[in-house]
Amino acid sequence: MAEVTFDYGGRVALVTGAGRGLGFAIAKALFKAGATVAVNDRTAESCAAAIARLGGGPGLIAAPADLATGNGPANAVAQATAGGRLDFLINNAAVNVERPVTATDDAHWDLHLNVILRASFLTAQAALPYLRQSRGCIVNIASELGLHAIANNVAYISAKHGLVAMTKAMAIELAPTGIRANALCPGTMDTELMQECARDSGDPASYYAAFNRYHPIGRLATPDEIAAFVLCLLSSAAGYMTGAAVTIDGGSTAGRQ
Amino acid sequence: MEFDGKTILVTGSTRGIGTAAAALFLERGGSVVLHGRRQADVDAAVARLSAAHSSDRVRGLSADLSDRKACRGLATSIDGLDILVNCGGIFREAAIAETSLALWDETIAVNLTAAWVLSQALLPKLRATRGTIVNVGSDAALLGYAGCAAYCASKGALVGLTRALATELAPEVRVLCLCPGPTETDMMRASIGTAPDEEKARQQWASYTLLNRVAAPTEIAESILLAASPRATYLTGSVIMADGGATAGKRV
Ligand SMILES: NC(=O)c1ccc[n+]([C@@H]2O[C@H](COP(=O)([O-])OP(=O)(O)OC[C@H]3O[C@@H](n4cnc5c(N)ncnc54)[C@H](O)[C@@H]3O)[C@@H](O)[C@H]2O)c1
Repeated sequence: MAEVTFDYGGRVALVTGAGRGLGFAIAKALFKAGATVAVNDRTAESCAAAIARLGGGPGLIAAPADLATGNGPANAVAQATAGGRLDFLINNAAVNVERPVTATDDAHWDLHLNVILRASFLTAQAALPYLRQSRGCIVNIASELGLHAIANNVAYISAKHGLVAMTKAMAIELAPTGIRANALCPGTMDTELMQECARDSGDPASYYAAFNRYHPIGRLATPDEIAAFVLCLLSSAAGYMTGAAVTIDGGSTAGRQ
Repeated sequence: MEFDGKTILVTGSTRGIGTAAAALFLERGGSVVLHGRRQADVDAAVARLSAAHSSDRVRGLSADLSDRKACRGLATSIDGLDILVNCGGIFREAAIAETSLALWDETIAVNLTAAWVLSQALLPKLRATRGTIVNVGSDAALLGYAGCAAYCASKGALVGLTRALATELAPEVRVLCLCPGPTETDMMRASIGTAPDEEKARQQWASYTLLNRVAAPTEIAESILLAASPRATYLTGSVIMADGGATAGKRV
């Protein structure tokens, strides 16, 4: 397959939840492509560690903030926009703890709804003045679970569906300003989150096997291939895309084998 | 009759779509629990409905849907339940920049979390009767509207809740989402009422639909009963658009 490269020199991006997993892969890809990247995660330590893994330098900004709180999202944006510019907002942070309906308590529900849905609204709200100026771009990392369901994940599924719907509302409202907003709906990626879910299941090998089977393509996605597509969504190649919920799921929402 | 012997709780049923649905359930044999935020409104609705249908199969309970404890209290006050209709909701418009945290939180609390809390709390009762949950969504679950980010998010999430519950609770409990399009209720009138030209605003809503008109509450109520019907045995996880075609097609 041909390698696609982008040049994001001079652009500034905020990636939430970039301490590890897909967020880290997106930050890495953007940084490689020349962008200045603000790395958000829950703690200063995890941001610093991610920045160190990326090699450090003036093109990397630490933007620690707990997005589950009411002012965390605006705080992350404030750190990212210290230079007065923002082109790309990538709402990637999430929690995903599987629980059956009967074991889902208020704290669990609120954490998922706040990190996945409310924080994505609040970062966009805070970033809006900058995005207007740059005619920038929002990518909300949803999930295939923003489009259909599996058992034992009610809070996450509700929040991800809400994120897809909110993306459409934002796209419509912001279309006249030149700001594009899209939702990306990945299938299962082999990230730390997946590894945790596998571990929690008690039988990691069959957990992985089940998810390999679940995706018609027969494997999990790598964070890097999803990150590459995020860069594509931010580019002029996607200049006519807004309000889309794009699946990148190895075929799992397309049909049944 | 279709709903003979069935007990139905309809939240947000002191007016609008909820009242219309409650009246139809009653007319077709059901026992109805009305619900509203204020006890006085609930009492008035109970009196109105029982007089109109000369029936004693109506009672009422009040609870603030933005208050989880109150929702759980409501669930405890119900002995047996066949059908839960999560119809209570709020619609507050605001541009992204003008949306307060309070508006966001209240919209999510009432339109989404209340439906979740009630579904969870009433689950043992619904399992016992192999019951049905009907969540009242909106075309805004699937269509983005400017100035409605919080509302769209809440209704989109309600579709997610529907699918997640349907997946997990099958085959005991059927769970559906019935999505009305623009409907002539106080909710819509409040929105139209703040527009500079009321008739133009109504026509604007109407123009989103293929039928080129807003719905009457009873039309939506009919669709809710369709989803809740004991004859609809193979419907679950469905997102049913009662939207005059709004999500199906668009005029150029
Ligand atoms: N892994 C998958 O299979 C998969 C599938 C579909 C969608 N997704 C989505 O992709 C995105 C990335 O997932 P991942 O697998 O990389 O997850 P991950 O758990 O590996 O990484 C998520 C990151 O978000 C951060 N985060 C969580 N809560 C936060 C908070 N309150 N404030 C700030 N940061 C916070 C975490 O610290 C972590 O660094 C998420 O939105 C997830 O829902 C993942």
